[in-house]
Amino acid sequence: MGWIPASLLHPTVRRGAQIAAGLIFLAAALPKLADLTAFAGSVHNFHLEPIVPVSAVNLLAMTIPWVELVAGLALVSGVRPRAGAFVYTALMAFFTLGVIAALARGLSFECGCFGKAGAGTIGAKKVAENLVMLAIGMIGTVDRR
Amino acid sequence: MDRWWPDGTESGSRLWQGVIAIAFTGCVLGVAQNALIRYGSPKDGLAWRYSPPKLDSLEDIAKQTASAPAAPVMTPDMNDPLQLGAASAANGLDVPDVGRPIQVQIAKVKAFYDAKAATIVDAREPAEYAEGHIPGAINMPYDQVVTDPERLEKFDAQGKPIIVYCGGGTCELSMNLGYALVNAGQKKVLVYMGGWPEWSTSGNPVAKGQTPEGA
Repeated sequence: MGWIPASLLHPTVRRGAQIAAGLIFLAAALPKLADLTAFAGSVHNFHLEPIVPVSAVNLLAMTIPWVELVAGLALVSGVRPRAGAFVYTALMAFFTLGVIAALARGLSFECGCFGKAGAGTIGAKKVAENLVMLAIGMIGTVDRR
Repeated sequence: MDRWWPDGTESGSRLWQGVIAIAFTGCVLGVAQNALIRYGSPKDGLAWRYSPPKLDSLEDIAKQTASAPAAPVMTPDMNDPLQLGAASAANGLDVPDVGRPIQVQIAKVKAFYDAKAATIVDAREPAEYAEGHIPGAINMPYDQVVTDPERLEKFDAQGKPIIVYCGGGTCELSMNLGYALVNAGQKKVLVYMGGWPEWSTSGNPVAKGQTPEGA
């Protein structure tokens, strides 16, 4: 990880990143849990068929928010936070790839990433946001003291 | 580690156990919650298998588009070129301009074909085209369009809607060509997902050879 500035490797920075990531996931999970049907529609919009069968969209929709919630709690509470950060980073990478793949295919829809309220049409801005959130997660996974 | 706050540096098997525990717990809770509300009272929750919403006809699509012409597309269906025209009902040959390709089923294609009301485009390779195609279809392989975009700009749909088809399946070729045509300024582009396999095995007319009407 030589390309990361040394100051970002400081334990306090890492713990801060973990808490920030946790709060992001909690903020993402709660509105989704409040309206799972809407979230299932959002997942479907991404057209993951080549990787995920259409019939499995509901399974994704019911599990993603809970994984986000558990990972978010781990990150914020400090119980296995680095594991939480790995889960966060993996999911965030998956989300980001999903958005990029959807954009590349010319799809345009509200991402539903933070539930209905935080809706915004996916675009370059969404990708940039996701990359920033991904970076926060990666800082949270650093294992140096 | 003599800090009072967790420093978040668990590693090795402790780390991976944590990762698996988080993912597993999340999945179990999600499925359990859904099961509880799905079989609880009142019954709620998601069906275990997702079935995409479908619109009934092109007219419904036109109506929805007309009601909110400038607004960003809101419903899953309208966002979704694949679902958009899961429209198979065979009433009417009007195609709404929704700014993206619309999927149609064989009944709709047949209606257009019989009425000679559409320009049909075959997105497959010339060799496949020569082995058999829908009579009157123009061969425009997507792979050639990619290297020679002028073909798109020169393409003359003769004022009719365009129906694009290819070798069936998920039919990336048709969808890509459909989008390319829309981007090149065509207003009414339909994509026939069933494509050649469905058409040729449903007792429809076919043509062989390099020319649209057959050799």
